[in-house]
Amino acid sequence: MSGWSRPRHMPVTNAELTTLAASHDIINLGMRADEVRRRRHGTRTTFVRVASVPAEPRGPLVLPSATGEIRIGGAPASRQAAVERVREVIAASRGIPVSAFSLADLELLATRESVTLRSLLEDLRAAGLELVADAPYDLLHDPRRSIEEANIAGLTLARLTVHRSSSPDTLPLLKAVTELQRSVAVIRAFAPLARTTSPSMPTTGYEDVKRVALARLVVDNVPSIQVDWALYGPKLAQIALTVGADDVDGVSAEDDMTEGRRRGPLEEIRRNIRAAGLEPVERNGRFEAVAG
Amino acid sequence: MTIDQIADKVKGGGRIDAGEALDLFRHAPTPLLGQLADVVRARKHRDGLVTYIIDRNVNYTNVCVARCNFCAFYRRVGSPEGYVLGFDELFRKIDETIAVGGGQLLLQGGHNPDLPLAWYEDLFRAVKARYPSFKLHALSPPEVIHLSRLSQLAVPDVIDHLIAAGLDSIPGGGAEILVDRVRRLLHCDGKATSDEWLDVMRHAHRAGLRTTATMMYGTVETDEERLEHLLRLRALQDETGGFTAFITWSYQPAHTERGGVEATGLDYLRTLATARIVLDNFDNVQASWVTQGGKVGQLGLAFGANDMGSVMIEENVVRAAGASYCMDEVEIVRNIEAAGFVPKRRNMHYEILGDPICRERDVPRMLELATSRDEGDTHVPDELAKYPARSRGGKQLRLIQH
Repeated sequence: MSGWSRPRHMPVTNAELTTLAASHDIINLGMRADEVRRRRHGTRTTFVRVASVPAEPRGPLVLPSATGEIRIGGAPASRQAAVERVREVIAASRGIPVSAFSLADLELLATRESVTLRSLLEDLRAAGLELVADAPYDLLHDPRRSIEEANIAGLTLARLTVHRSSSPDTLPLLKAVTELQRSVAVIRAFAPLARTTSPSMPTTGYEDVKRVALARLVVDNVPSIQVDWALYGPKLAQIALTVGADDVDGVSAEDDMTEGRRRGPLEEIRRNIRAAGLEPVERNGRFEAVAG
Repeated sequence: MTIDQIADKVKGGGRIDAGEALDLFRHAPTPLLGQLADVVRARKHRDGLVTYIIDRNVNYTNVCVARCNFCAFYRRVGSPEGYVLGFDELFRKIDETIAVGGGQLLLQGGHNPDLPLAWYEDLFRAVKARYPSFKLHALSPPEVIHLSRLSQLAVPDVIDHLIAAGLDSIPGGGAEILVDRVRRLLHCDGKATSDEWLDVMRHAHRAGLRTTATMMYGTVETDEERLEHLLRLRALQDETGGFTAFITWSYQPAHTERGGVEATGLDYLRTLATARIVLDNFDNVQASWVTQGGKVGQLGLAFGANDMGSVMIEENVVRAAGASYCMDEVEIVRNIEAAGFVPKRRNMHYEILGDPICRERDVPRMLELATSRDEGDTHVPDELAKYPARSRGGKQLRLIQH
């Protein structure tokens, strides 16, 4: 930017974090987080186009050509149903990375079926599964152990998420995530904004911006801070990219051109990233850049 | 001048010119724009208050001959989906507004050739007779011009008629971008040219009315034209001082003839902040949660806004173009406080009315805005029979009514 000297900041101390978290100065906080993000990723901003398919065996299976990750969503009814669905989707996947299920649902399923989580995960791996779709930190019975089990079973965790935003004080959660990553070291992306929110009392824009920015500052050992395009919408997601986030999840893989190419999902995400002064890079579920 | 020098000028309270405004808008980093806008906001509002109004946004008719190509709300004359609200329906809406602590209607509608000036005068008189202290923030400049053409009265005379009937203030709708090249491309130069829009406001201010000013950006305008719009508003405000507030929003493309894409969230925050900096003679700048959503609307408070607008209760125009956000008083108050400000209710003149109603008593939560009418309700108000229609369809309808 011409003629404006961006302030340079030193690494953030614990005391500063507490002050930043308590402050309403989201612009200063966002600048600090953006600086860390740019040191790590420059202007590179990745996004993935996701085709969601239901967990039920023989359920619908629509895989648009642009899909970068096929995600089997919802809780599986049984171990057998989970394995069967994974096999079906893998068989149809044309080599596209497949992610499936929430690790928290798999914990519950293992308990319900009186098997170890490890053996369930190994069954899924043997069926061809590559990625566990997400690990909701606040729903996991034992986050460290379950993530390690997935790793030992040969599965990659696609993302660590937060199910519900239960406390406005976000620092303890973020510090716990940092500690978790110190133990497991396999978390590639962390999506700090809650997956569910109250319709009558949703999180506010200030809260979301603070959470993304603080996540970038605190969770310094996870490569990517992620924001969900479909869940949070283009406007907030774009703003999140300027306050610490570097990866966009949940872009639709549907090639919907009914309202013109410019309104299609691909052009919309690229336009929003570029309008934030950043460089869009499409990736797949393995975090590999996609040509084009 | 460098961006740093322009920033210093803004921080020192200096007025920036067109070139400096363009440099800031195009080249200043978004955080800097926010910080500068916040400096200007804080200078004007040292008390840390953020205001809002409880009023209802009512569209009395959707029948319109203007045919702006960015509008998804209007229906042509004779359309089976066209409607005119009856006086009784409007009274009911006012009753509902008063019940949740509101004291005003924001009343705007299409340019319906079958509603003569007398209909508006009778409506306003009827409202004032029934609700003497209730305020009517009504009829944007293009509607005033439309009434001037229908009635063949000069604009100042139309305004005088409306004031005599009970008009309290004029909303700044229909401004879009006040550059005629843009207005021609949007097919809205016929409803009002830039000069005509500004002239209505000039006459209204001279007649003692306060008004708001708006800007709808993100269609075909250049950066220079967006700033020219702001500078024209600033010049009129220097002349009359009649604007109470400025509100900007992005073009909502869904279901419109023009189509295209919506401007991004960052574009909104940059535009809002630039407006706050350029419009140094406007006291109040509103955040537009109705087009941007509550989250980005609230973020607007960090980018120069000092007002969260209205609880609205009802909304039809933006919804028709695909956006359907809702914020009731509880949500507006919660968002203001979460941003570190103190929420206060206001009237259209931005006079503080008090603390939130929802803190004084239980107010039913509202998770969805109402619409003008329930779907499928096509009834024609009886009182329309009293007013001569101009269109062929309107004349036929009157005959049937008689």
